[in-house]
Amino acid sequence: MEQELPIIQIRNCLLVSIQTEFHDRLALDLQASLMERVRNVNARGVILDVSAVEIIDSYITRILNDIGKSVRFMGADCFIVGIRPAVAMTLIEMGVELDSVSTALNLDLALEKLELL
Amino acid sequence: MKTVEQEIGAILAGNISAITQRSIFNRLGGLAKTPINQLSPGDRLTIMTELENSVRLFARSNSPALIAACSRVLNSGGAMSASGGGLAGAAANAAASASPGGGILSAPKKLPIELEKDIATARLEAWSEAVRIGLSKFASVKVATAVSELARNIIFYAVKGTVELRAVKDDRGSVGLQIIATDQGPGISPQKLDEIWGGTYKSQRGMGKGLVAVKKLVDDFHLDTRPGVGTTVTCVFRGER
Repeated sequence: MEQELPIIQIRNCLLVSIQTEFHDRLALDLQASLMERVRNVNARGVILDVSAVEIIDSYITRILNDIGKSVRFMGADCFIVGIRPAVAMTLIEMGVELDSVSTALNLDLALEKLELL
Repeated sequence: MKTVEQEIGAILAGNISAITQRSIFNRLGGLAKTPINQLSPGDRLTIMTELENSVRLFARSNSPALIAACSRVLNSGGAMSASGGGLAGAAANAAASASPGGGILSAPKKLPIELEKDIATARLEAWSEAVRIGLSKFASVKVATAVSELARNIIFYAVKGTVELRAVKDDRGSVGLQIIATDQGPGISPQKLDEIWGGTYKSQRGMGKGLVAVKKLVDDFHLDTRPGVGTTVTCVFRGER
């Protein structure tokens, strides 16, 4: 059941749309290949689109934070876009923080914030 | 006897566009033209699954109540709307379904948690169960998130166990969902428990915050853990307060 999330390049920015169930292997692979791509293309930012993700629990939050941290270590910024209202409310209530990534309402706004448009 | 399309169509009218209704009934194929009293339990499940998926996405208002109303009509063999029919009937049905004792309490669902993919399954089951008993959209997401945390704990720490979902009524008659996550894993030592509740516990794989998060999300929380024997978490979500 090997799968890999496609990483799309928009100008000097990398985009990953997360739609599948995240598990350890997939998350680590994504983290590794993102870091590799950030270096290869001198990416300014990484955008993770979670608008298709209906449930985000503390484990997935940690994965997102880890990816954000590693991307920031390389000097790029990491944006999470498209968090659903109910997901945001739930994360707040759980007391879980998404503190190692920036957020934007949608892809457009993230690109704008990354001064790419 | 009216067909599925006629009965369900009457309930959805005004809440879901005609085009969307068309595509729902198209996806149901021959089932749409079947008289309601000739449906098998499997047929009803197929119809309800389709409705839950579509209504949640496309309803203009209160989708759990609509779904509950559809469920009642399907299970009653179509007798429900004989009195009212149309929008008024649908509203009455929806109101009746939201009240306790409306026949929406059902047998508990016990889900095995053995593989990582079971976490996703448990989450979806919990979500649709929450919607079915009439919890709000936000509450249903909370239910699914809590189940996700509990199922993940089972996979990470106990390898396998079960998650049980049960619709319950409290003494004031309001409906809620009880979640019981059980495993025969290593249990949690008292020292580790102190760290968990104190917020200082760091796990290798997660954030070490799963249990704390669940406790914050639910209305009732009970943890029973014995090192070497296993762990049971029992919690309850109530409807809107």
